[in-house]
Amino acid sequence: MKSTFIALSAAIVAISVFGMNKPDYIKHAMRSLSLADAEEPVALSPRLVQQSDSGVIGVNAPVFREIKRSARPVLDTVVTAATAATVDESALRYFASRGDTARLQAEISRLKALYPDWVPPKDPLAVPQNEDKQLETMWDLYAQGRYAEVRKAIAERQIAEPAWKPPADLIDRLTVAEARTRLINASDLKQYDTVVRIGSETPSLLTCSEVDVLWRVAEAFFRTDKAQRATDAYSYILNNCQNAAERLATVQKAAAILPAKSVEDLLAKEKTAPDGTMEFDSIRDDLARRFVAEANADGKLVVPPQYLARVEHLAETGGLASDALLLGWYHLPRGDMEAAEKWFRKARDKEDTASASQGLALTLIDRNDQLAAEDTMYRWRDDSKDAKAVYLAATANLLALEPPVAISGEVLKRIAAEVIKSRDASTAQQFGWYARALNQPQTALQWFRTALGWKLDDEPSAYGLAVTYQQLDDLNGLSEIQRLWAGRSERIAKVGEVEKPEMANRQLPVANETVAVRRQPRTVVTSQDVEYDQQEQVAVTRPRRTVSADRGCKSTINPQTLAPEAALTRGWCLMERNRPMEAAAAFEVGMLGSSAKTREDAAYGQSLAYLRAGLSAKAAVSAIKAPQNRQRAFELQQAILADKAVAAFDAGRSREAILILDQLRQIGPERTDLLSLRGYAYLRLKRYADARRVFEALAAIGNRDGQRGLGILYQIFNDKD
Amino acid sequence: MRGKLLAAFLAGLFSFCLASTPAAAQQPLIAADAWQAYKAKFLDPGGRIIDDANGNISHSEGQGYGLLLSVLAGNPADFELIWSFTRTELLLRSDGLAAWKWNPATKPHVTDINNATDGDILIAYALGLAGKQWNRPDYIKNGASIARAILDKTVIQISGRTLLLPAATGFSAKDRDDGPVINPSYWIFEAFPVLDQLAPSPAWEKLRTDGIAILGELRFGPKQLPTDWVSLTSPLAPATGFPAEFGYNALRIPLYLVRAGITDRDLLTRLMRGTFGANGEYATIDISSGLPKDNLSDPGYQIINHILACVVNKTAVPEDLKQFAPTRYYPSTLHLLGLSFIAAQQRECS
Repeated sequence: MKSTFIALSAAIVAISVFGMNKPDYIKHAMRSLSLADAEEPVALSPRLVQQSDSGVIGVNAPVFREIKRSARPVLDTVVTAATAATVDESALRYFASRGDTARLQAEISRLKALYPDWVPPKDPLAVPQNEDKQLETMWDLYAQGRYAEVRKAIAERQIAEPAWKPPADLIDRLTVAEARTRLINASDLKQYDTVVRIGSETPSLLTCSEVDVLWRVAEAFFRTDKAQRATDAYSYILNNCQNAAERLATVQKAAAILPAKSVEDLLAKEKTAPDGTMEFDSIRDDLARRFVAEANADGKLVVPPQYLARVEHLAETGGLASDALLLGWYHLPRGDMEAAEKWFRKARDKEDTASASQGLALTLIDRNDQLAAEDTMYRWRDDSKDAKAVYLAATANLLALEPPVAISGEVLKRIAAEVIKSRDASTAQQFGWYARALNQPQTALQWFRTALGWKLDDEPSAYGLAVTYQQLDDLNGLSEIQRLWAGRSERIAKVGEVEKPEMANRQLPVANETVAVRRQPRTVVTSQDVEYDQQEQVAVTRPRRTVSADRGCKSTINPQTLAPEAALTRGWCLMERNRPMEAAAAFEVGMLGSSAKTREDAAYGQSLAYLRAGLSAKAAVSAIKAPQNRQRAFELQQAILADKAVAAFDAGRSREAILILDQLRQIGPERTDLLSLRGYAYLRLKRYADARRVFEALAAIGNRDGQRGLGILYQIFNDKD
Repeated sequence: MRGKLLAAFLAGLFSFCLASTPAAAQQPLIAADAWQAYKAKFLDPGGRIIDDANGNISHSEGQGYGLLLSVLAGNPADFELIWSFTRTELLLRSDGLAAWKWNPATKPHVTDINNATDGDILIAYALGLAGKQWNRPDYIKNGASIARAILDKTVIQISGRTLLLPAATGFSAKDRDDGPVINPSYWIFEAFPVLDQLAPSPAWEKLRTDGIAILGELRFGPKQLPTDWVSLTSPLAPATGFPAEFGYNALRIPLYLVRAGITDRDLLTRLMRGTFGANGEYATIDISSGLPKDNLSDPGYQIINHILACVVNKTAVPEDLKQFAPTRYYPSTLHLLGLSFIAAQQRECS
């Protein structure tokens, strides 16, 4: 065994900075405290400079270095001031007398390292016993670990024989042994500063023969935010110590606390056995798994590519579902959904677990395959709170899809059952919109009401109720919900305003159609026209594969099965029934028509459909799918801009709203509703003079918004006074 | 300032017990046979003082008492033994204070890493005394480091008062609704001048004067007594969660006062009169009723009462109390402290 010591040199350096004019005992005391501050920068002392020359990098540099035991005394206490001039063989004799060959050998190695010129006895077992019986007793107590009693025995003998001095070797060993006990106790109690301090004070503890102490000191460094020193300590072991099991345990312990990069540096110290096996091979797989697992919890952690590759290899060859799972959860937070999906699928193929399904569902949700996400998670929905959340997210997303997708009755039923069981307001609300999209307003009402019951402040559900009441001409229901939400939702308050005659005058009547500025449907469809299935608790589509002879559009069919002209007719029918998303799909087919007129009408219709659905961007795209006559082009442009202005205002971008309104004004006179929007936008921007001008103009024509706006301005200025 | 503190130091240390004359140095204040009997019963061969009334656990207070008694008995070997155990088994906290509780039945033996400030004070105080007495710089160094930790972690200033928290955590205004909470019996007045030598700070003298002032104000219940645990909210009150009693903690207060040479007649008289139980024995007192709870017949408790009588009324301590026979760890410890006080009085109470 290489008998070297490591010194925590910074600690030694720190000692020299304290003043010399204090009483001795104070200096001693300062010394013990200053050790704890070894990290603090200290003034350069000659000693330090000397150390820097000898390769130690600086005060705060890694402190493990090898020194000769004789370079300085291990201890400075009074009891050990007496150093042995000759080699003290009393321990040797003691161990020999006990026949303790292991300790005897260790002692011989130790003495050889300390005193290179010393020649060990040829037959150590023949070394004569200590003739000093009292000293023999002391060694005996020492060997039994009864250190306090050794102290007592020494003190007693010194009282009885004032001239007697304990062997320096005994004192050294005793001091080190007590320090070891204390260090281990402190380490067990997580008193890491104490551990570091004792380690600094007792460099002779920090050797390969005390690997456990080295481990504890390394951990203490780490726990006291000195990760580099911890790495240095582990490095020291791997650089100097030979015991294979201890080396392996060192890497395991280091890997348990150090970041991957540091562990990688330590692994580089791996040795190759004569048979070619690598000494750390057995733990590399586990390490790789651990690094990837850690990176799962922290999306910012970077796993060295070779570890990722190792786990990938394991997942592909070893057949453990958990390895594939690790990789799925590694890629997911890093946004690599394709890779994540691949690994989650692999894990799930091996073993369908909640975790694999959850991960897969998240990737499916991300790529908007909500139907598959729902299906994946259904079985695991009750596995955990997270699993339930993922399932409900999938259901809410599924129902919110634009355009709505066909969902089987069975799936809708199980979603509904789960939503009711979980009292999930979010999916309930989406059920409402879904039912509306499928033109089942009564069902929509039920779901919106249910959602509101579970989440009293769910404004979107209240809004859903309001627009559905309006659609059904249930003015009592509408005014009731508007009363409940007065002052809490502007858009709920505004539901039905488009009906106002002064507004209607300004709207552009085209194809018996008013352009809806908001997503809310207009009221041209009377309630009698609305078909809904009273039997159904939930909205259920009835997909049909054949073209219906039905010339109306009550049923849901795939417009792809229709001729373009028929699809165009169906599109307008659906618009009348306020099913804009289905209408848009029908118009899409219409655009395949052979006549320019059909294509123009279809593009126009789709544009209107998207506008009604609140998708002005899509509307703008549709508008240019076929050339439009001047009037329609103008009208569409106006409608699209108006929609954008409202959307900008709703999103709090008042400046942008005004810019769009200015654009609108250039192509035609400003509508009253948009004028009032302009007024509110000015108000938000605190352009009070402009706002006042607008509201006064509106008020002059008896517009309620104008009066309200003026009222607000009045309040603002009164409050200011 | 310096002169005053030195005077306090001398009053507390040299004139009281140790080394004022060569003769005193050779005459331990605790007789060898008494110390021998104490050790035989309460000192484990490995150096720990056993609290035999509490499941044979050890604690920093017991180790501190053991160290102090070793000094008073003039026994450096026992001091070395107890110190080695204390240092390796309790003096582990990163802040330099001692863990308070050591249980032989558990592993790790330390079951609560919190400290008990009176234990820390006793250990540092004994180290200071022993370091001077036996010229051991390592004792001085260790004592100084504990004294500094006491200042750093447990001595606080609140509205002009310097206070001693019973532990580094759990008793401050932040830790408790009725905090800060103190234990007046943790004020070991005789130690402060020694601690000031170890870790010079004006706080020690302030602890002494403010401690005496607080004792002057602690007049709860019909008997006008302090409680073991006191809330320093305004007005001062028995701390919540502890029995409102002049209990086994507080009964040390008079002993600590007289040992430190504090002879405030009003205070001592009030404590003496308030703590009489049946048959004139020393007793723990229920604060609200003023009635005795436990009548303390153990000579270790009894001697406190008689020392008070001696200091206040010059009444001699009865002969039978001057004989030491170990009973239980706590009263026997107080007994030896009482006897060493009588020995230092040089006949006044004999």
